[in-house]
Amino acid sequence: MLRELFQYRELVWALALKELRIRYKRSSLGFLWALLNPLLMMLILTAVFSTVMRIPVKNYAVFLISALLPWTFFSQALTYSAESIVGNGELLKKVAVPKAVFPVAAVISNSINFALSLIPLVLILALLRFPFHLTWMLMPVPFVALVLFTMGCGFLFAAANVYYRDVSHIVQLLLSAWFYLSPVIYSLDFVPARFQPFFKLNPMFYLLEGFRGLIYYGAVPSWHLVAASLLLGGIALLIGLVIFARYQDSFVFYV
Amino acid sequence: MFESQCLEPSIAFENVEHRYRVILERRDTIREAFVHWFKQGSHYKEFTVLRDFNLTIFPGETVGIVGRNGSGKSTLLKLMAGIFRPAGGTLRVRGHVASLIELGAGFHPELTGRENIELNGLLLGLSKREIAQREDSIIEFAELGDFMDVPVKQYSSGMYMRLGFSIAVEVDPDILLVDEILAVGDAYFREKCLARISGFRERGKTIVMVSHDTALIEQLCDRVLWIDAGGIAADGPPRDVVRQYLQAAASPNPASLVSR
Repeated sequence: MLRELFQYRELVWALALKELRIRYKRSSLGFLWALLNPLLMMLILTAVFSTVMRIPVKNYAVFLISALLPWTFFSQALTYSAESIVGNGELLKKVAVPKAVFPVAAVISNSINFALSLIPLVLILALLRFPFHLTWMLMPVPFVALVLFTMGCGFLFAAANVYYRDVSHIVQLLLSAWFYLSPVIYSLDFVPARFQPFFKLNPMFYLLEGFRGLIYYGAVPSWHLVAASLLLGGIALLIGLVIFARYQDSFVFYV
Repeated sequence: MFESQCLEPSIAFENVEHRYRVILERRDTIREAFVHWFKQGSHYKEFTVLRDFNLTIFPGETVGIVGRNGSGKSTLLKLMAGIFRPAGGTLRVRGHVASLIELGAGFHPELTGRENIELNGLLLGLSKREIAQREDSIIEFAELGDFMDVPVKQYSSGMYMRLGFSIAVEVDPDILLVDEILAVGDAYFREKCLARISGFRERGKTIVMVSHDTALIEQLCDRVLWIDAGGIAADGPPRDVVRQYLQAAASPNPASLVSR
């Protein structure tokens, strides 16, 4: 399956670019939406949580966006990849093409979107005169872990969605619950000590913490954290791949 | 070199079994799955479309397939194309396959004809470089003029088919699978397509085509298979097989088709 994917890498790339092109083609602002979306989201959340809820965090906007951007990537990439097999069902019945190209393309197109969303992040930091830490350069490390994890979940839900169409609804529900249970709008320090162990069971805790450390605290992540997040990503990908590979031959009967 | 290629079949089915799942009562939701789980019923029915199916096609053969609707013709083609995996037996296909099972299957309506050439070519297994080399001849063959830069959702079905055919034949496959696709398109383009298919034949490529147009089959093929109820009812020279098939089809008792 991996060899097939490599063989069709040009197709994967073309599909990813196509998805982006289609997403922004008919809108007059075009690619600006990729920048505006996280910006608006951040403005709203910052207003609510630093002004209304008064979360006592300095530079809350930066604190928030440093975890919000990777979260948004995760949630969008998962939504797109979960739909990717069912959405391309007609095609799968007519063309012999490795099925894995679709969820992978969905994750790649959202990775490009993530890279674009770093532009407003830079703007906000510049505007707030927040220092750019050298640790930014390490961003690929938590990102790789996050991509692996997202890809694994994407394979899993894409396969499940073929058999049970409820999966796309469940994914949405899961994502909104997951958002509040993950340290995006808050950090682990806000959680009462006796609940903290439960919050540490959440893979997203490790995956998002790396980003916040690099951008907000300017700290090099501990090797514990790096190892934990890469391991979680690897395990998720392995599970997703095995299940996807196991069922992919019968997708064509159900899509 | 040439001799060994001749001996080695392009397509070989050995005791192939294929089951087709038909979802009877769709378990589209988890609630239904739950209900079913308690009822202990199976949610799909498997039809065995092919059983102990044997067929060998050699390079350079042009094979036509005739048969009634639902007899397994398209399934056969989809197995050759790799869209279905056989449930049992072995199926070997040698060489690059291009399937004209449905033209323009991967077209995205919002993209222009030109943009779709690249996407479709990649879907058919070409590399970007190969597509770039072929782009001009694809555009030339399709004869769509300014429509190349219009989103394909604004194409007529004939234009859609023209572009799809042009891309698929430019893949320049070793094995060409054709499923009843020449029905659309005007007489002029149809002739062009037929000429292109004949060209394939002359260059020693393998062609397998499914059609209800028995005259066309007789004209193009040098071997015809009559498929019935998932088995080969007849295999031989076009004229003979087509005659048998038409005679059986004209007989008042359709059951005789199954029992030959």
